[in-house]
Amino acid sequence: MLAFINEPAVLNIILAVVKSIILVSVAMFHVAYATYFERKAIGHMQVRMGPMRVGPHGILQPIADMVKLFFKEDIIPEKADRTVFYFAPVISFVAAISSLSVIPFYKDWYVANINIGLLFILAMSSLGAYGIVMAGWASNSKYAFLGGLRSSAQVLSYEIAMGLSLVGVMIMAGSLNLREIVEAQSKLPYGMFAIPQILGLFVFLVAAFAETNRSPFDLPEAESELVAGYFAEYSGFRFALFYAGEYIAMIVMASLLTACYFGGWTLPPFILKAIPLLGLVPGAVWFVLKVYFFIFLYYWIRATLPRYRYDQLMAIGWKVLIPLSLLNIFISGTLRILKVF
Amino acid sequence: MRLREFIQKVLFVEILKGMALTLSRLFTRPVTRQYPEEKKQALPGFRGLHALARRPDGTARCVGCGLCAAICASECIHVYTTEGPDHQKIVERYEIEVLRCVYCALCVEACPFQAIALTEHYEYANYSRDDFYMTKEKLLENWDKYMAGKKGEEYFKKFWHPLENDFREYEGQPVFDPERYKRRKGKIRDIRGEWLIYKGNGRRQ
Repeated sequence: MLAFINEPAVLNIILAVVKSIILVSVAMFHVAYATYFERKAIGHMQVRMGPMRVGPHGILQPIADMVKLFFKEDIIPEKADRTVFYFAPVISFVAAISSLSVIPFYKDWYVANINIGLLFILAMSSLGAYGIVMAGWASNSKYAFLGGLRSSAQVLSYEIAMGLSLVGVMIMAGSLNLREIVEAQSKLPYGMFAIPQILGLFVFLVAAFAETNRSPFDLPEAESELVAGYFAEYSGFRFALFYAGEYIAMIVMASLLTACYFGGWTLPPFILKAIPLLGLVPGAVWFVLKVYFFIFLYYWIRATLPRYRYDQLMAIGWKVLIPLSLLNIFISGTLRILKVF
Repeated sequence: MRLREFIQKVLFVEILKGMALTLSRLFTRPVTRQYPEEKKQALPGFRGLHALARRPDGTARCVGCGLCAAICASECIHVYTTEGPDHQKIVERYEIEVLRCVYCALCVEACPFQAIALTEHYEYANYSRDDFYMTKEKLLENWDKYMAGKKGEEYFKKFWHPLENDFREYEGQPVFDPERYKRRKGKIRDIRGEWLIYKGNGRRQ
């Protein structure tokens, strides 16, 4: 009766489901503690303590927050477009979490090893903007609407720069598959694309901040002008979906940065030669540590920089980042033709 | 110079400086005081909850003159007096609406008998307005709780400079001196038209 389980196709599906469940639960745990880490890091940077009440040093704060959000009333504005209002956070969340599936945490640790992994992530991160635009429209509130408009313009402008900056990586690796990109980096003497692709790295870093609506480019949710921006009218669990989506997008961008520019799960060969013992540590640890560092960088920047003005944001995107990434493509392509790498 | 500025802009020198600052703050001690666990001792002379001072025999020092009520900026002190059996003045009720008080301490300054004080106690949040309506009994209790013993004795001397400190010996006071009267005739006259002559270092000069 259960013979169909032995079919390879069915086995693959079961494997994929199990992997997805593990990935989603690990990701959600990381989202919960990313908020805690953010509040602690920014708190200490501002010479305060951050959460201290729930558990020792506030370690249970994210769990308390989750319980609170779960039991909160789900308020829908009277004149909201209900269907769109319901679906907007789901789109935002699904777009964010599905891009996690193609990220290789270690040699074979991924849900899907697809050949267009990089393209898939770019596509999903721009799909997330739909959730934001729809939320802004459906809320029937001027603040949410302005936030949604700003976000759509911002994401549209910056994903050009982001896509173009990754072209340099594609040229060097000769692939869109994230695993092959990481493996291509491990063949270099310094083990990462960050050095030859320094221009692309800079453009990607700035665009990643804008793409995930993080400070200093958090204009769609500028709380001093727009209350909370596009999710001003959301509460309870729908709010939590937006929130989780935003943090997962952050984790995805940090992972992409690690995989495309900093050698993923590999260590640079010269470090391994100097301290051979490090080779025994499983590669996933290095990947996760690098991701944590970039998440910390997000918080660090947030604690340091004030928000940009909207015209400055657009000027940086169109007048600086896009020309820079085009220059980067030109240089990378030329070097490739000259067989420098 | 412009080249240098350009290079600084390209390398984000200022943003990096800011990031170095925030990172260095990350490793400093937070200034937060975890309030209910870590309490701050009020500085001496802090103007907190009101109290009515007791004499050594335990009765209130207040005589019911009503100067505190008269000077009170927010008009939150109410004093009611009656006549006792031997025609003495009895302070029947002495009440302060603490929620209206602005803690200016003019009452403490005005009191000629050093009968009212502001204690260093500041944690008296409560659930009802009635709890903030201080009667004479409650105010005397406050004195026992927060100003008992030496603290209460020293309180007025230290912070309120009671007028009795300024009382001077005979030499310092204005008195009639016929000798000087003769010398300075027609120079100083008080409001009643009488001649006044000061001796020593009298205060009214």
